[in-house]
Amino acid sequence: MTQLCRLSARDISVSFGKTPVLKELHTDIPDGKLTVIVGPNACGKSTLLRSLARLQPVNKGQVVLDGKAIHKQNSRSVARRLAILPQMPTAPEGLLVRDLVIRGRTPHQSALKQWSHEDATAVETALEQTGMAHNAGRPLEALSGGQRQRAWIAMALAQDTDILLLDEPTTYLDLPHQIELLTLVQKLNRETGRTVAMVLHDINLAARFADHIIALKDGRVHRAGSPAEVITEANMDSVFALPCTVIADPVHGSPHVIPA
Amino acid sequence: MILRLPFLSMHLPARAITVSLCLVSLLVVALLSALHLGAYPLNISQIGQAVLGHAEGIQRMIVLDHRLPRILTAIGAGAAFGLAGSMFQTMLRNPLASPDVIGFSAGASCGALLAMILTGGFVLFGALIGGVVTALVVIGLAWKDGLHPYRLILVGIGASLTLSAGADLLMTKLDALTAAEMAKWLVGSLNARNWADVQLIWVGLAVLLPLSLWLQFPLTRLAMADDIANGLGVALSSMRLAITATAVALVALAVSVAGPLPFVAFVSGPISRRLVRQGKPALLQAAIVGALVTLLADMAARSVPLVHLPTGVFTAIIGAPVLMWLLLVQFKKGTL
Repeated sequence: MTQLCRLSARDISVSFGKTPVLKELHTDIPDGKLTVIVGPNACGKSTLLRSLARLQPVNKGQVVLDGKAIHKQNSRSVARRLAILPQMPTAPEGLLVRDLVIRGRTPHQSALKQWSHEDATAVETALEQTGMAHNAGRPLEALSGGQRQRAWIAMALAQDTDILLLDEPTTYLDLPHQIELLTLVQKLNRETGRTVAMVLHDINLAARFADHIIALKDGRVHRAGSPAEVITEANMDSVFALPCTVIADPVHGSPHVIPA
Repeated sequence: MILRLPFLSMHLPARAITVSLCLVSLLVVALLSALHLGAYPLNISQIGQAVLGHAEGIQRMIVLDHRLPRILTAIGAGAAFGLAGSMFQTMLRNPLASPDVIGFSAGASCGALLAMILTGGFVLFGALIGGVVTALVVIGLAWKDGLHPYRLILVGIGASLTLSAGADLLMTKLDALTAAEMAKWLVGSLNARNWADVQLIWVGLAVLLPLSLWLQFPLTRLAMADDIANGLGVALSSMRLAITATAVALVALAVSVAGPLPFVAFVSGPISRRLVRQGKPALLQAAIVGALVTLLADMAARSVPLVHLPTGVFTAIIGAPVLMWLLLVQFKKGTL
């Protein structure tokens, strides 16, 4: 199977102090697809995503974006092609949603050119796409958790990149808001053709929304492929040590894990 | 409001413009009253004549040689402190991280004092060296897998106290008369400023103010988490370095003409942010607030007859309650 992949990790190793987190990990993020990284706690999911976004320096190997090592490229130029929304992002008190979304335009701006016509269009589009246009004038802390997360996604969208990385975007959201957010992300992937890669905790949500799943275990890729290929009883047992039954979701047809 | 020129385009929020205009008007009123204030009675037209160079004798001397240089130094030094404080507080995402709390002002004044004792001059040079060395030491000691604001503040407060004690110790090397003058300067004094001071601070500001405003763009992004600024393509290390260097230079400059006026750097940022609102750093407004606070404090110092009270006594009287108020608010919100 040959797929086009602008972003890939080539045998990367990352350690925190003496603790190795990623061990010669090799994986590709397929273009235009919605990829979800899953795995047990402390398996290196977030570290992998942060490394892919050049936020985490790698000790060995390299992350390649468009044929060149990402850590050696100009950060601003990377930011025009790849956007990352970190886990539980913070913003200064009182910041309005619109101003937050405007910050997403940073790699396209400079100290003197802070507001081009493209900036204005991209910000309005991002607010529309996330359904946040009517909340644009509200401060971030006045929003509910789900709305706040949408505002952050709008910021990442305004960055106008082909690749979008999301680190656990559903943390602290209740189930309806998790579904709402992932539906939005899926819609953005389908409608704008953006490559999306995100870390999720919930395997069933991953199976339902992903085109491509990367299952990590102990800092290595255990299995990568379509949900049907990865979410199997055998893999759940070997990755999560979770005895379970996997059935086809009666509504969506995706694999559904029922823990024993 | 949107400004769009071929070489410059930006948002100009109506509120920021209104706030700036109000602050500037207040500053002008304060400036005029400060020119009027003094033991020798002068009316507005006499002051006007003197400023325009049409007056002679004592009128001219009082306005041009005494009051005006002192006022212009106060405005310049206050603006420099306000800018530097707001820059550090925004970059480190904590209102306690201002140069007068974390020891950079104390370092600059120690350096200036040392230069004074060793060479009898080179105050600015000494203040710069003192400020830079303190910044390096404090940041170096607080560094552990990155710069954690909380650790920086603790180390900085320690450094600040040590340096103040060091300055006291240095004073014993001086004769009683110089020591008494120096003691005032160490509290922050604008007594007997001359045109050389005015020139120094304003030439410095002419370079550093535009630089600071240019750095406001990355600074606004640094005010969010590191990962976000990094993801947006902001060169974290070099921007932090540029901001730190500019702010330390501003502190050294202000200290060398006015001493380490306490709390000016500390209060200007939070006050201007609360006036402008919407979670944006407001460097220009912070500079004006700093100038205003310093000028008002100096007027208070001058209005006490006979004793030459140092201005720093009054900046502290204005600043200390704001500090307590901020601490209380932060404590109640659990963000301290």
